[in-house]
Amino acid sequence: MAASSPRSSAQILDLAGIRLRFGNHEVLKGVDLKVEAGQVVVLIGASGSGKTSLLRCINLLNQPYAGRIDIDGERIFDHDNHGRDRIRLPMREINKIRSHTGMVFQQFNLFPHMTALENVMEGPVIVQMKSKAEARARAMELLASMGLEQHVDKRPAQLSGGQQQRVAIARGMAMNPKVMLFDEPTSALDPELVGEVLKAMVALAKSGMTMVVVTHELGFAFEIADRVVFLDAGRIIADGPPAEVLLHPEHPRLKGFVTRFHESAEMLRPFLDAR
Amino acid sequence: MFDYTVITSNWQLILQGLWVTLYYTVGSIAVGLAIGLVMGLIQLSPFKILTYIGRIYVEFFRNIPLLVTLLWIYYALPIFLGVNITKGWAGFAGLSLYIGSFYAEILRGGVQSVDRGQTDASVALGMSYVQRMRRIILPQAIRRMIPPLAGQSIIQMKNTTLLSAITVPDLLYQGSYISSFTYKPMEIYTAIGAIFLIILVPLTLILRKVERGHVGGH
Ligand SMILES: Nc1ncnc2c1ncn2[C@@H]1O[C@H](COP(=O)(O)OP(=O)(O)OP(=O)(O)O)[C@@H](O)[C@H]1O
Ligand SMILES: [Mg+2]
Repeated sequence: MAASSPRSSAQILDLAGIRLRFGNHEVLKGVDLKVEAGQVVVLIGASGSGKTSLLRCINLLNQPYAGRIDIDGERIFDHDNHGRDRIRLPMREINKIRSHTGMVFQQFNLFPHMTALENVMEGPVIVQMKSKAEARARAMELLASMGLEQHVDKRPAQLSGGQQQRVAIARGMAMNPKVMLFDEPTSALDPELVGEVLKAMVALAKSGMTMVVVTHELGFAFEIADRVVFLDAGRIIADGPPAEVLLHPEHPRLKGFVTRFHESAEMLRPFLDAR
Repeated sequence: MFDYTVITSNWQLILQGLWVTLYYTVGSIAVGLAIGLVMGLIQLSPFKILTYIGRIYVEFFRNIPLLVTLLWIYYALPIFLGVNITKGWAGFAGLSLYIGSFYAEILRGGVQSVDRGQTDASVALGMSYVQRMRRIILPQAIRRMIPPLAGQSIIQMKNTTLLSAITVPDLLYQGSYISSFTYKPMEIYTAIGAIFLIILVPLTLILRKVERGHVGGH
């Protein structure tokens, strides 16, 4: 269980007052989020509430127009409320910071012209300038931990969705990230493949990895998350332990959301109990 | 009667023309590729000015008939610049600039056809613009670009016949020359057409096969 894994209190992520807009549409309306080392934070919310957008702000795939972002005590972003920079990092610095965050996408986004092994080696070799031998050894280790040792030389097109997503997790982990970001990692999977990906994520969480996970798998949230954060129309309106947020929702919109997903959470229970 | 001797007795002139045609075809394709690469990629850069330069270049040379471009470079440009431009250089420049604009479009389209998720994934790994172009985007884009690039290059060989309008002695020019003193246009122009068919039909068939293999492979 979450409580039994080692937790220190060092702050890995500290987002304050994050505002993001696309054109005139304000998608994030001042989001504060702190994540401690080793914590698993699950981000839930209705479609269009801004979950993906928030996740993409963390590694600056989206540029907020206001707010502040610290990763592991390092200030990577700071804009005032008028979109002016308080700090402006050169692209090289931003890329370096990005390389310390791993991201897993709903659509996997593996590199189709590379094998599973090459996908996992790509970041360490090209971005971190590691030697091929070192990167290969680490990649093999990670792929094995994902149960993919049989598939290292296959291209993504030859792998099932569940296998592809596990390669994607290994690819993120290969960068030795300070935090792993997951955007609905099981939403594009056939139902029978969801379990294997969740299992890999559970193992990751138990190993002490700091994780921010957008998911509709409330069963996963309930069992694994240290905190569940509910996003509603670009604002965080609930943030607390899973039992509190999911079982005793106070905010009416959160209540509605949780009730709607209650059934699917029940359906997942057998898998999580069998773990 | 079809008089073969017109062709056999002038084969050297025809061969010279063929050589010139191939020379301009290959040369302008090579230079055009370099131009197209630059003009295609700058349109994808985040810098507005570069994007406009690329756009203007493409629309300019794509929409002026090649014959007009060739005549203009050979006859009009020297007047503007006050320098002499040989017909060889004028022809080479016209052909290269023309095909470069088509290559640029193919390149831009090819890169833009690569899924956005590929950019997201490589950016998330911390790759720079150059790294992700070189390692992730271009390798995927080039696969898709090969058929249209090859198709455009085949058209380029046919386009070289326009060089005869500025008196570059290509295959067609040599044909006209031979027919001017033999008075046998039927034989000569038939032979010229046949040479294009002999070279381009096999290339087209190979291209189609590659294309089919490509589609099947994905
Ligand atoms: N690149 C973009 N350009 C314009 N609008 C965008 C863009 N990305 C997201 N949006 C808008 O921002 C809002 C929030 O989108 P976001 O993808 O963050 O929601 P989400 O909570 O992840 O939803 P879902 O559960 O459907 O994935 C939506 O209204 C969406 O239309
Ligand atoms: Mg989303």
